[in-house]
Amino acid sequence: MRYRHLIPLAACAAGAPAFAAQYLNAEQAQKLMFPEATAFRQQDLALSLAQMQQVEKLAGLAARSVNWRVVGAYSGDQLLGYMVLDDVIGKFELISYAVGLNPDATVRQIEILTYRESHGGEIRLPAWRHQFAGKSARTGGLTVGDGIANISGATLSCTHLTDGVRRIAAVAQVALKK
Amino acid sequence: MMRRAQPWLGTLVDITAHGDAQAEAQSITQAFAEIALVHRLMSFHDAASDISRLNRAAPGELLELHPHTWRVLQLAARMTELSHGLFNIACAPRLVDWQCLPRPGTTESPPYQPAVYRCEQSPMVCKLAPGWVDLGGIAKGYAVDLAVEALQRAGVASGCVNAGGDLRAFGERDWPVAVRDPQAPQRVGAQLVLRNEALATSASYFSARRHGGRQVSALVDGRSGEPLVTPASVSVRAPRCDIADALTKVVLASGDARHPALAGLQAAAFII
Repeated sequence: MRYRHLIPLAACAAGAPAFAAQYLNAEQAQKLMFPEATAFRQQDLALSLAQMQQVEKLAGLAARSVNWRVVGAYSGDQLLGYMVLDDVIGKFELISYAVGLNPDATVRQIEILTYRESHGGEIRLPAWRHQFAGKSARTGGLTVGDGIANISGATLSCTHLTDGVRRIAAVAQVALKK
Repeated sequence: MMRRAQPWLGTLVDITAHGDAQAEAQSITQAFAEIALVHRLMSFHDAASDISRLNRAAPGELLELHPHTWRVLQLAARMTELSHGLFNIACAPRLVDWQCLPRPGTTESPPYQPAVYRCEQSPMVCKLAPGWVDLGGIAKGYAVDLAVEALQRAGVASGCVNAGGDLRAFGERDWPVAVRDPQAPQRVGAQLVLRNEALATSASYFSARRHGGRQVSALVDGRSGEPLVTPASVSVRAPRCDIADALTKVVLASGDARHPALAGLQAAAFII
């Protein structure tokens, strides 16, 4: 019987937890992006109005935020690059991710930190999103149902994430490039 | 255990590896490099990819492609044959017209015709007729297989690679998988366990929309070039993910979970 494990779950509709996955925390991501770094320094950015306009022009997208969470990676005094942390909202998913950038503002690596889906309209509610704010992701922690690690389904487009990366590349070009 | 995810192939690719900590991080990096290679070679969006070169080529032109691209094109041709034309990667002009794919340059779409290339001796491919191919229905599966092989080469005992819903698990470990409910995709429609096996799912719930007064989707019936808009979700289990990925379209277009193409490829399908 090939399908002995296939159990239709009609009963698990309302109240069941939505899909979620936790990948890396910020410390793990920065180490993966800059394995040669000896120090990481938080150096958050606040963009000026002129910089915001430049970002919009470069990215072709709304700059969205004045403040950006940035970590500088160093080997001794030498700057190796930056990691910028951000969140994007899709159709029904909230993705926290990190973009590693070289000192010349080119993208080096992208790592997803956490992925969370809402059942329905909650994704648009700040309260739903804020319940996850500042929570550190444990590696490999599975928060879906009974240890379901993987989802199979129609391909979910990640356009909003690639837009987010493009926006960060523009922020780096405008405000971080050496 | 280590689990990482990166955006590739227009979706999120999620890789889990069980092994020693140092080896896990490196092996996952190597597996992502394979995915990135497939992304670069087979992207319809990138004018420098093998696929864009093939699409731009004039009839009669002989092209040398990367062996990976050749293999996927050959498998696609085999799937077209086995499915009597239900599966066809030459449906790209329709996807461009329906704005499911970007228009390459300012060129007008060529008419849809099923036979636009022929695989010669690897890695040569002959363009037969004006037309565009898109590997969206098969390359994710192939990328998953390459990533699994990279993890295995790096000594990872067990793991799972999931490219936006098309996945493959390896090693002596059970992998619980949830299949989205096509009526409510944020919910679980079915649950199963994989071991040393691939599972791919196709459905139109994320791509279906109205265009020019009718419903279209990113899924096409290879015989007619018409969009497949169905409330169903098709999942296929197979030893390899490229085969599972392609077969989902065959089952979706035929509506037959026991399509004859499945058995010969050691695959089985279910529809929800």
